[in-house]
Amino acid sequence: MKILTTAKKVVDVELTLHVENGAIVEDGLQYVINAWDENAVEASVQLKENNGAETTLVSIGNSDNTDMIRKCYAMGIDNGIHIDDPALEKADSFVLAKVLAKVYETGEYDLIITGKQAQDTDSGQTGIMLAEVLGLPCVSNVIAIEVIDDQNIKVSRLGDAGTEIVEVALPGVVTVSDSINEPRLPAMRGIMMAKKKKIVSLDLAGLGTSYEDVGGNALTSEIVEFMESETRQAGQKFEGDAAEITVKVVDLLANEAKVL
Amino acid sequence: MAKVLVIADIKQGVLKGSTSELLSKARSLGAQTAVVAVGSNIESLTPDLAAAGSDTQYIADDPGLELFSAGPFASCVVEAAKQFEADLIWFGFSESGKACAPRVAAQLSAACATEIIDVTLDGDQIEVTRPAIANKVMQRIKVNSRQLVAVVRAGAFEADEGITGTQNVVKLSPPAADLKAVIKELVSDASGEIDLGDADVVISVGRGAKDEAGVEMVKELASDLAAGFGSSRAMVDGGFMAHNKQVGQTGKIVAPTLYMAIGISGAIQHLAGMTGSKTILAVNKDPEAPIFNVADYGIVGDLFDVVPILREEIKKIRS
Repeated sequence: MKILTTAKKVVDVELTLHVENGAIVEDGLQYVINAWDENAVEASVQLKENNGAETTLVSIGNSDNTDMIRKCYAMGIDNGIHIDDPALEKADSFVLAKVLAKVYETGEYDLIITGKQAQDTDSGQTGIMLAEVLGLPCVSNVIAIEVIDDQNIKVSRLGDAGTEIVEVALPGVVTVSDSINEPRLPAMRGIMMAKKKKIVSLDLAGLGTSYEDVGGNALTSEIVEFMESETRQAGQKFEGDAAEITVKVVDLLANEAKVL
Repeated sequence: MAKVLVIADIKQGVLKGSTSELLSKARSLGAQTAVVAVGSNIESLTPDLAAAGSDTQYIADDPGLELFSAGPFASCVVEAAKQFEADLIWFGFSESGKACAPRVAAQLSAACATEIIDVTLDGDQIEVTRPAIANKVMQRIKVNSRQLVAVVRAGAFEADEGITGTQNVVKLSPPAADLKAVIKELVSDASGEIDLGDADVVISVGRGAKDEAGVEMVKELASDLAAGFGSSRAMVDGGFMAHNKQVGQTGKIVAPTLYMAIGISGAIQHLAGMTGSKTILAVNKDPEAPIFNVADYGIVGDLFDVVPILREEIKKIRS
């Protein structure tokens, strides 16, 4: 089985963000692998270990992405493809999906695994749109993957009414939830080996396409500006005798907030 | 006049409140409204669909649609959107909405925005506002295409009490089944539990509850209040709570009237799922826990001491 996994580098959500003149202040920001993509990498490596598979990672982004690809190598990914093209800086999910579709078409992949969303946009569109572009079956928000045979997998999806058990005829796309696994910490040996491995770096021309070809000249939407979120203010905090303060707070919930 | 198509949110044969919230927002924008309902045995909901604020009801009712499958569901929405010539296509906040919206957008070559909290129309120009980066910032997005497919964040729009509609049913032919992604089984949530998305009060339990006995104690408080019972990531990972109970960036996003965080420290990912709540109560041993930064009321204390008193006092007030 050949697995294609996607990973994106995103701003570290643990950091405090500031907005100035409609843009996020870049100063002091750090970028890390999108947490859900890390789950996708772990899921791919587990399939390789348990069922035998060749795993390839694709990442779209600037030169900073190479350290993330090496981290994925250290986790057990076999091959890395880095799509680095300045034209894609403002690309939306649909355009990125079309670029990833081009990458898919360069290899004979059986399964695509993506994170269910990226922590920077929280959009959750690219993986599903990729399946639409390729005309492949897709199951999103997946919490378990089981290989039936070379052509079929069985996945569990968290849906509105419960856990849906879905059989997917390959090739197909799954987008994974962070509930699927706990990503491993790379071992030292893996980290050392990863340093020597080759990364295939391509721009859009190298991929046999162009910005226009992937819909870049007709973006369906664009971000006009970023704004500060309205933050909640800390309210009243009570310390002391548990009975006393709890009675007080219940009274406030009932008579001040009027929510009981 | 803009046309808004709202996807009916139907769970276990009941039309959920979000449908009316979205239709109310559409009406307030001066738009023409329609709903599309997809499922099995749902024709009896037609009066409810109209009363929720729609003037046309596209209904795909077929036994094959009983279990959710994103492909056929999306086909029904695309068909309704084409027939209605919809400019805006809105899903309520749900896993099915999140699974379908990108498909519908890709098929219509429309713009797609998830978790929107506001929409403005200025002539033909559509703009939306949505949170990003775990709620840390907001984005204002300009739509370039003629159509926008959006998933509306829970609690973003309010239902207009006086809203009405008219019955005008258009039956959609059942879509082809997705033969490449076949749903074999639905392992449903424990029946009779209150849906987190609907509940007026949501009570979530965190690591502070320690074990099953602790979880059970907090659950009793939830039962007293007929509250939805949610969880932090830690308790899901620990195997104490089901995946579908997780509140946060990756799980359920809730906006109830009252949210109680019991023994939850308040990781950024959890906060992203509940800070839209009207009133927040936090109970935590650690006075420095970040949950107190967003709580309207905070009790610094051991939940094993506090929860029994909470139950008792709330019972007194309610009796």
